[in-house]
Amino acid sequence: MSLPYPFRTAISSMLHEKWINVLAILTMAAGLLVTAIIAISVYNFELLTRRLPDKFSVVVYLKDGASQEEVKNVVNFARKNNSVENVTYISKEEGLNELKASLKETEYVLEGLEENPLPDSIELKLKTEAVTPDNVRNLTTALKELKGVDEAEYGERFLSSIYSLRVGMKTAGLAFSATMCAGLLFVCYSAIKLLFYRKLQEIETYKLLGATRAFVRMPFIIEGAIMGLGGGLLSFFGLLALYYLVVLELSLALPLLKSITFPVAATSVLPIAGLCLGIIGAFIAIGRIRY
Amino acid sequence: MITFREVFKHYDNQIALRNITFSVEKGEMVFLTGPSGSGKTTLLRLIYLAEKADEGTIYVAEWNLNHLKEADIPAVRRNIGIIFQDFRLLDNKNVFENVALALRIRGENDRDIKQRVYDSLKTVNLRHKTDGYPRALSGGEQQRVAIARAIVAEPVIILADEPTGNVDPDTAAGIMRTFKEINARGATVIVATHNRELFRNTGRKVLRLDNGNLAGEEIA
Repeated sequence: MSLPYPFRTAISSMLHEKWINVLAILTMAAGLLVTAIIAISVYNFELLTRRLPDKFSVVVYLKDGASQEEVKNVVNFARKNNSVENVTYISKEEGLNELKASLKETEYVLEGLEENPLPDSIELKLKTEAVTPDNVRNLTTALKELKGVDEAEYGERFLSSIYSLRVGMKTAGLAFSATMCAGLLFVCYSAIKLLFYRKLQEIETYKLLGATRAFVRMPFIIEGAIMGLGGGLLSFFGLLALYYLVVLELSLALPLLKSITFPVAATSVLPIAGLCLGIIGAFIAIGRIRY
Repeated sequence: MITFREVFKHYDNQIALRNITFSVEKGEMVFLTGPSGSGKTTLLRLIYLAEKADEGTIYVAEWNLNHLKEADIPAVRRNIGIIFQDFRLLDNKNVFENVALALRIRGENDRDIKQRVYDSLKTVNLRHKTDGYPRALSGGEQQRVAIARAIVAEPVIILADEPTGNVDPDTAAGIMRTFKEINARGATVIVATHNRELFRNTGRKVLRLDNGNLAGEEIA
């Protein structure tokens, strides 16, 4: 059984104009590969920063001599707050023990202290989604206004930097992907437009013989689709090769690379993206066929 | 089948056809004659909608071409088999594919196409050139391929623009025999030619154009 006529025409045209098509497919593949690498980098950074809130907490230092009532009030305020996951009261003795434990062999630096310099404190673990600079700033400001609270601390600069970096990476990634997609669309558009112009005489004959718009368009759309799909598949296999043959091999020497997450299922969208870009590019290139 | 009523056509400031009125009945074979530049090709181009009339009304089969939507143009053209003056054969396709194109455009299946293309090539005595490419054919052979392409779908109207322009008298006679056979099968045929020998004593209707005017309508 032979292929339908539009497919045969598209394939024969691709073979006839092979260099234009090969070049377009390679450009598509390179563009999609770079876009995928950027997307995976953004995704990995996102994963990395998403884990940070688990280790994030706000510490409320209580005034010396804060009453039981005041401490209870602070704890209740924290528990009622939607952003707070759990609340732990740490007495000054527990605080000192923790400090000693964390100092290990350098515990001697605390020798000679006549009294415990640490205040009583309350540690608030926040819900993952609540760890945003604005939210944490509002919470600590409210906590500071409570009676019995001396200070409420969190890594403000660190949190703001990470948050800005995360938003920046996401925005830059999206902007880059959008620009790249527009560029690849233009590659398909140009290649199909060129092929279309080369066949202008032939198309005119088709039209004079009674060909419909669909009959004229179909081989070009198929050509665009093959071009896009070819580029998408090449970039997909290129990405797999890059990860399994380069990144994983290098990770033996550089263990840091082991932490890179490679979303295989998500990268399978590359051929579909290529296919869509090819079809859309071809549609735009052919435009409205006039009789 | 084809009716022109007070049709005018201009190119820039030059008049190509002036107040043309005539009609061709279904199944008729008509010759369109006149010297070069008299408007024969323009008149044919108006019928197959390569041009639009500036004034007047044209009917082709059941269509009023003045009120035709752009999307309906292919349907009108599929009722017409055209033999272009410059043949318009596709150099990148062989003889078979050139002829088959008229059927592929009409959505015919591969099996029917094969049989009908062979039959059509047999009619114009080119069955042995199926795999050849237009550039390898003589002018006369190219003309016959163009005829085979025009008749293969058995359209109700055949328009031939100088179909014997590049051929020797024997081939020309053969081509005319083919048109008569097609006409005998019911197709309406219009042959534009400046060669009076083609229609002399045929008893067919002759439309004589002169400088864009319909100078006469007579029986040969």
